Amino acid sequence: MIFKDQKNKIITLIIILSIFLLYFILRHTNNHTALAYITNQGEDTVSVIDLSNKRELKKINVGESPLGVHILSRNKLAVIGNVKSRTLSVIDINSNILLKTIPLNFTPLGITSDTSEDRLFITDWFNNKVAVLSVKKLEVVTTFNVGLTPSGIVFNKTLNYIVISNRDQNTIEIYEGGNYKLVKKITTGLHPFGIHTIGHYVYSANVYDDSISIINLNNFSTQVIRVGMHPYSVVTDKGFAFVTNTQDDSISIVDLNRGKEIEKIAVGENPENLSIDSNDNQLIVTNWGGDSISIIDLKTYKVIKEVKTGLQSRAFGSFIYQ
Amino acid sequence: MTRLITVIFALLLSFQIFAHGPTPQKVQESITVNISPNKAWAALKDFSEFTKIMKIRSVDEESMKVKYEMIKKDVPFSDYNAYIVIKNGANENESVIQWTARFYRTYKLNPPIPEGQDDETAVAAVKAIVLPGLESLKKSLEVK
Repeated sequence: MIFKDQKNKIITLIIILSIFLLYFILRHTNNHTALAYITNQGEDTVSVIDLSNKRELKKINVGESPLGVHILSRNKLAVIGNVKSRTLSVIDINSNILLKTIPLNFTPLGITSDTSEDRLFITDWFNNKVAVLSVKKLEVVTTFNVGLTPSGIVFNKTLNYIVISNRDQNTIEIYEGGNYKLVKKITTGLHPFGIHTIGHYVYSANVYDDSISIINLNNFSTQVIRVGMHPYSVVTDKGFAFVTNTQDDSISIVDLNRGKEIEKIAVGENPENLSIDSNDNQLIVTNWGGDSISIIDLKTYKVIKEVKTGLQSRAFGSFIYQ
Repeated sequence: MTRLITVIFALLLSFQIFAHGPTPQKVQESITVNISPNKAWAALKDFSEFTKIMKIRSVDEESMKVKYEMIKKDVPFSDYNAYIVIKNGANENESVIQWTARFYRTYKLNPPIPEGQDDETAVAAVKAIVLPGLESLKKSLEVK
C-alpha cells in the first residue's frame, strides 16, 4: 500500500514536471518579437518594424496606395488593402515575402476578420458594402449592403458582431457576425472613422467633432468625450483610451472611468493610427506627416523612440503581429 | 510685410467641410532665406492684420511653426490643412522656410475619376500656390 502511494506520488510529480516543461517550451516558442506592418501610402510599400529592437527589418513592395492592414495571427499573414490599384496584398509573416496579390473590383478601406480567421471583412468605401472573403480561398464569397462610406471595421469577439463606421453618415452599424443582419444603427459624433471594440463596448474617433463616442452594446447608450483636433483612431488598454489627434500631432489619453482626457502626448506629424504591442507594453502610432512611427511606453506615457518608415505611413487597422 | 500678408490671406478665403476620397495628398517645399531664423519667425507670425478673417489653428513658438486651415470653393482640391515652419539655415543669418500641405482631390465618387478632379490635378494646384508663395515670402522677408 505504501509502495503504491509512493508510485502515485512519483507519477503525479512526473505529470506536474511535464506540464511545467511543456509550459516553458510553449512560452519560449511564443516569445517572438512583435512586428508592426506599416502601410506607406506615398510610396506603395509596407515597412516591417521589429518592435522590441525598434528598427525597420524590411520594406516590401505592395499595390498602389496601401492603406488598410489586418494581421491574421493564426495564419501568420498580413493582409494589406491598396486603395488605388484596388487589390489586396497578402504577406507571409514568417518570411516577410509578398505571397499573393488579389484583384478586387472595389476600393478596400478597413479590414478585419472573425475570431477563427475563416473570413475577412472589408469595407467597400464607394459602394456602401462589406465584402466577405474566405481566408482559405482568398476570394470574395459574398457581400452585404451597409450605410454610407463604410470606413472602420472591427469584429466583436464577445458578441460575434461586425461593427463598422459610416463616416459621412455619422453612424456606427452593428451586424450579426453569422448572417450579416443589422442589429443596430447608432448616431455618433461627426465623421466617425477609426473604431475599436472590446467586451461590451465600441469606441469611435469622430474626425470633425474632435471627440470619441463610446457605445455600450448592452443598451446602445452612448457617451461622448472631447479629445484633440481631428481624431482618426482609438484603441483601449486597461481602463484608458488612446486617440490620435491628426491635426494636433498628439495622442490623447482618456481615463474611461472618469470619462475625460487626462493627458496629451506629443508624437510625430499627423498621427493617424495606433495599435498596442502587449509583448513590450508599448503603444505604436503611425505618423502620416512624419513618415515614421512613434513608440510610447505605456507605463510612463513617454515617447521612447520615433522610427523612420516610408512616405505617408498610415496603417489603418490592427497592424501588430504578436 | 504687406506682400506676405497678401500671399497668406489669398489662401484663406473660405472654410468649408467636404467629404473626400481615401488618399490624402502631400506637398512639401522649402526655400532658403538670407535672414536669421528669429527674424524670419517674427515676420511670419506677425498676423495682426488678418487674424479676423483667416483660420490660424496654432502658433508654436518653440518649433517656429504656424498651422492653418484653408478650403476655397473654386480650387481643384479640398480639406486643405498646412503648416509653415522656420528652420535653421547653413549659418546664423540664414533660415529655411518649409511649407507642408495635406489635402484631398475633389472627386469623391467611385473611379473612373474625371480629368481635372484627380490627385495629380490637386497636387499640381497646391504646388502652384506653394512654390510662388515661398518665393514671395522670401522676397518679402529679405526686403524687410
